[in-house]
Order: sequence, then C-alpha cells, then structure tokens
Amino acid sequence: MMGLTPYLILSAILLVLGIAIIISKRNAIAMLIGVEFILNAAALNLVAFSRHGVGALSGQTAALFVIVLAAAEAVVALAIFLNFYHTIATVDIDQGDQLKG
Amino acid sequence: MLETAVFFLFATVAVTAGLAILLSTHIVRMAYWLIAMLISVAGLYFLMGAYFLGVIQVLVYVGGVAVLLVFGVMLTSRQQAPKLRPGPGEALWLTIVAAVLLAGLIPSILRVRPEQSALVAENSVADIGHSLLGEFLGPFELASVLLLVALLGAAYLARPKIPVLGAQQKKGTTAL
Repeated sequence: MMGLTPYLILSAILLVLGIAIIISKRNAIAMLIGVEFILNAAALNLVAFSRHGVGALSGQTAALFVIVLAAAEAVVALAIFLNFYHTIATVDIDQGDQLKG
Repeated sequence: MLETAVFFLFATVAVTAGLAILLSTHIVRMAYWLIAMLISVAGLYFLMGAYFLGVIQVLVYVGGVAVLLVFGVMLTSRQQAPKLRPGPGEALWLTIVAAVLLAGLIPSILRVRPEQSALVAENSVADIGHSLLGEFLGPFELASVLLLVALLGAAYLARPKIPVLGAQQKKGTTAL
C-alpha cells in the first residue's frame, strides 16, 4: 500500500501548475483551465486524506461537493466570458480594463 | 508494487498535461490536455478505492466541464487570439512564484506523518448516499440550490441582447 505522501506531493505540483497557468495565460478560458487544475488538486487531497485519516467517507463526500462547485463555477464563468466576448469581441482579459455598464 | 507503477503512470500523465498546457499556445490543445489530466485524476481516485468518485469525475468533468470549455472556445475564438505565452519578465516572475510555492509546500508535506496506514476500501455507493443524506444533508440541499442559481444565472448572463426588441414586437402583435 502506498502512503499519503506521494498523493500530497502530486497534489501540490498540480496546485502550482494551476497557479502558473492562471498567471501566464491571457485567454480567459485558459485561466479557467488553471482553476480546474487547482480544484482537482484540492479534491485529490481530500480523497487521499479520507483514505488515510479520521472521517471514513467525509473526504470523498467533500470531493463530491468540490466537483459540483467546479461544474457550477465553470458554467457561470463561461457565461460571463460569453458576455465579455459580446461586449468587446475578445476573451483577452487585458482588454477588460474598463468598468462601464 | 503494481499500485506504485499505476500511481506513477497517472501522476506522470497529470503533470505532463499541466506542463503541456503551460507551454502550449493552442487553446483547443489545452482543452484536450485538460481532459487527459482529469482522466488521470479519475484513475487516481480508482486507485484509492473511491470508485464512485472516479465515475463521477469522468461523467461530470470530462463529459460536462471539458466539453463546455471546448464549446466556450468555439464560441469565443473567432478573432485575434489573446496572448498565450508570457513575456520574459512575466516568465521570470512565474518561475519565482512557482519555485517559492513548491519550496514551501514540499518540505511541509514531507514532515507530515500520517497516523494511520491506508484504510481498506470498504466504502460503497450506498455508504456515500447515507453520508450525503445524513451527515451532509445541509450542504447537499445547498448544492442543489446552488446548481439552480448557476443554471438561471448562466442563462441570464448568456442571453442574446436583441430578443428584448422581438419580445416587445410579439407583445404588440398579441395586443392587436
């Protein structure tokens, strides 16, 4: 049986990759991909802890909620990006520097 | 031993996908690498005995979120593509941030000593169902409300702007 540490290290690497993607990309959808990386890293942590730790199934249930939240977040974020695209005809977030109604 | 091999297979795929997304300049390829990462994380869930979660990961993430992202790409990437590669200054800052984060996270992880060894996977779908409708009933209901709000909000935000005129015309015709 493998220990907890490899999963935690992989999760940390995925988190850092997600943050790096969010920082480096200017395309809003590519930033959303980075957010998915971060959420998956968190869910992986939860499941690993639930296998090795206190609450037997709490971690898995919490990971389930993470998936639900990620789906809702992706839907709303894409709707916002579509609105953004209709307004200024690009998804380059550097162009979104004017806050007018 | 087999478990270690499978873990490293999936971990390699996930990290490779992240690096490929970081270095890629093509948004659709990024979406496909995201799918690779999601499937390998689902494989890790299977490896940890969280079978239901692995299935849900494939269903919801790969079947829903990733396809949604590809649709978003199709709907928005008609004109000039945004900059997908950072400049040298940004790349420097990016490397510093990533290195500092990793340097903070990895040693603290290595200092963790888990108290128990891995539990034998005896949890079933029924156990997760009992957990959802027992201990986590409040969050479960809140999640359903959240999904409804996200549905309505997305439909409201993404609505076309023109049909307001059409609705008024239709109202006028019914009044006649």
